[in-house]
Amino acid sequence: MGHGKSPYLRYADPEPFPILNKHSHYDHLFEEMHELEEKGEILVYRITEENKPVEVYTRTGRIKTIPAAKLWHHKSCGQCGNIPGYPASIFWFMNKFGYDYLNEPHQTSCTAWNYHGSGTSNPVALAAVWLRNMHQAWKTGYYPLIHCGTSFGSYKETREQLIFNKELRDAVKPILKKLGRLTEDGRIVIPQEVVHYSEWVHAMRHKIKELYEKEGKAKGIDVSNVRVAIHNACHTWKMMADDYPYDPEVYNGQRPAASTAVIKALGAQVVDYSTWYDCCGFGFRHILTEREFTRSFAIQRKLKVIAEEVKADLIVTHDTGCTTTFEKNQWIGKAHGMYHPIAVMSDVMFAALACGAHPFKVVQLYWNCSNYEPLLEKMGITNWKELKKEWEDAVKKISELEKEGKYDELLEFFKEYDLYEPYSKTSDGFKRKRSATADMPLFKS
Amino acid sequence: MEGHPYGYNIPISEKTKEVPWEEKVRIYEEVKSDFRFKEFLFGCLNCGVCTASCPSNRFFDYSPREIVQRFLEEDVEVIYDMMHEYIWACSQCFTCWIRCPFVNNPGGLVIIMREVAVRNAFEATKDLLKPYGRVLLKVMTTGNQLSADMLQPDFFPDWGPKMLDNMENLRAKRMAIPFDVGKSVKTAWEVSLETAIEMYQIWRETGIFEMLEKLDPNLYNVIMDIVEENEERWEELMEEEEEE
Repeated sequence: MGHGKSPYLRYADPEPFPILNKHSHYDHLFEEMHELEEKGEILVYRITEENKPVEVYTRTGRIKTIPAAKLWHHKSCGQCGNIPGYPASIFWFMNKFGYDYLNEPHQTSCTAWNYHGSGTSNPVALAAVWLRNMHQAWKTGYYPLIHCGTSFGSYKETREQLIFNKELRDAVKPILKKLGRLTEDGRIVIPQEVVHYSEWVHAMRHKIKELYEKEGKAKGIDVSNVRVAIHNACHTWKMMADDYPYDPEVYNGQRPAASTAVIKALGAQVVDYSTWYDCCGFGFRHILTEREFTRSFAIQRKLKVIAEEVKADLIVTHDTGCTTTFEKNQWIGKAHGMYHPIAVMSDVMFAALACGAHPFKVVQLYWNCSNYEPLLEKMGITNWKELKKEWEDAVKKISELEKEGKYDELLEFFKEYDLYEPYSKTSDGFKRKRSATADMPLFKS
Repeated sequence: MEGHPYGYNIPISEKTKEVPWEEKVRIYEEVKSDFRFKEFLFGCLNCGVCTASCPSNRFFDYSPREIVQRFLEEDVEVIYDMMHEYIWACSQCFTCWIRCPFVNNPGGLVIIMREVAVRNAFEATKDLLKPYGRVLLKVMTTGNQLSADMLQPDFFPDWGPKMLDNMENLRAKRMAIPFDVGKSVKTAWEVSLETAIEMYQIWRETGIFEMLEKLDPNLYNVIMDIVEENEERWEELMEEEEEE
């Protein structure tokens, strides 16, 4: 089980599946990280029992520890800005499981989407942004859970670069010092594991299944006939490929396990297709300013293939860019007789729907441009038109209350708003504010 | 013969030919001196598995195998030429990296080349990133790359009629998002001012603002106006808090 002196590096014994990479350079960082910790250069932000850890395997057979509770939610700008039902579904599960968490405003995006798209940054800036965010999480005592796939990939890469390159540590340390983002004794805070939300969903799949059995089915929801094509996001499993879950239950450990495993646990039909390994066509800059490439690739290499080969009802993703690319680039296919309408959503959104979450108030399907209605029907959510009306009425009411300046009523309204709490569920209830100044938003609402 | 005898089939541009050799060598050395370079480039069998699985290769004249080969050949002229337009086709998906039997990272080499191209403010890079200015403005001033108000239907007519509907009464719809700090329109979530101030300091200390100034002086001025305004607001708040 053990490997050297580092408590952060353990391997499964016996091997749970044929190991894809037995000579991982990446895994060596867990030994180096421990050495840097022993020398007093870094502080490893450890996952503790308080985080209710769950163990999964990576493709090297390494045991990766996934914290389940007391999490600091590092949100995704693409999700919050464009697919708000994505983070809402994550929070919904946290509430359902009764897990303590922190959703606060003291974080920036990783800024890696911009870097991959435009090159206007550098490794020192990326490292400083990451470590500032991680220090903030450490200060609150909540363990970081990364919502975005690109943030996750970029943070894994940045950690690897920091651990193996003293020059990068030396460059970033003075900046963090100026920001007050080192420990009191001058150390950099580096998390024990960089954890993506899809890994959390993977680790929680059995609990999610229980919830589906108990509450989803009670509402008449049945996903057993739903045909699901999985699209794994490039930045989760191709960037720092040795640090993402694999499992004997998913293609005997030869393909990434997250997303596929939860869909299987729910009893839906995972359907395989020939271009499963291809990217979505997002391209970072391309989705915004070279969209003819993005939509051509998405339609020809993914949507058409999935529609024709396996006739899927749904494409399940686990990242911001892929979800956006697939759901926004269907309608335009009509122009060339290449319209392949397929519902698109992330694993956690589909899981929330299966477990009975409101399709519009929680999963926020309203924002989705894909053809999700037939999927809802097939799942047994046949009253989706009424549920949509409920949401539209809620928007109207919110709009009226705000125009009239009735903020107290607005707050009360949100308190009654479905299963969700309007303010972050933290250890001190609704009192997330440190001070008026510290919590002052960049833009006044 | 135009192009390269080993496969780079794009003729070297006249502009590249006119650039003094010493300048091309300087740029080449700047790429090679990046600490990541030695971690991204190893041997190459020329097997082409990277190019065969590259999404950009299907729609652009772009090959990750060429990137690796040209560095191994130390082909200064071609690399300089590639840095103007060729490299911007890469989708940054890293399929090339996971599939390479020698663990080369062509996508990683491309990101170093892009960074050097931006730092040196190549004209082609300036032109290419012009439509991207709105994104740079958002990410540099707020810390969020994307916000709800950026998805205007005028910019995305190809996303269909549901997009038009989505943007109506946007503020109320954002207010109806059921989690705290997620209701903002101008940012993806309600980034705190203090956090933005820290990020501005990171941009200053790491030369990102300088990069932007060279890339697009007008955009830089707009960004700095917002940054300075926010910094002044923050200072005033701090003063008020001290007085209290």
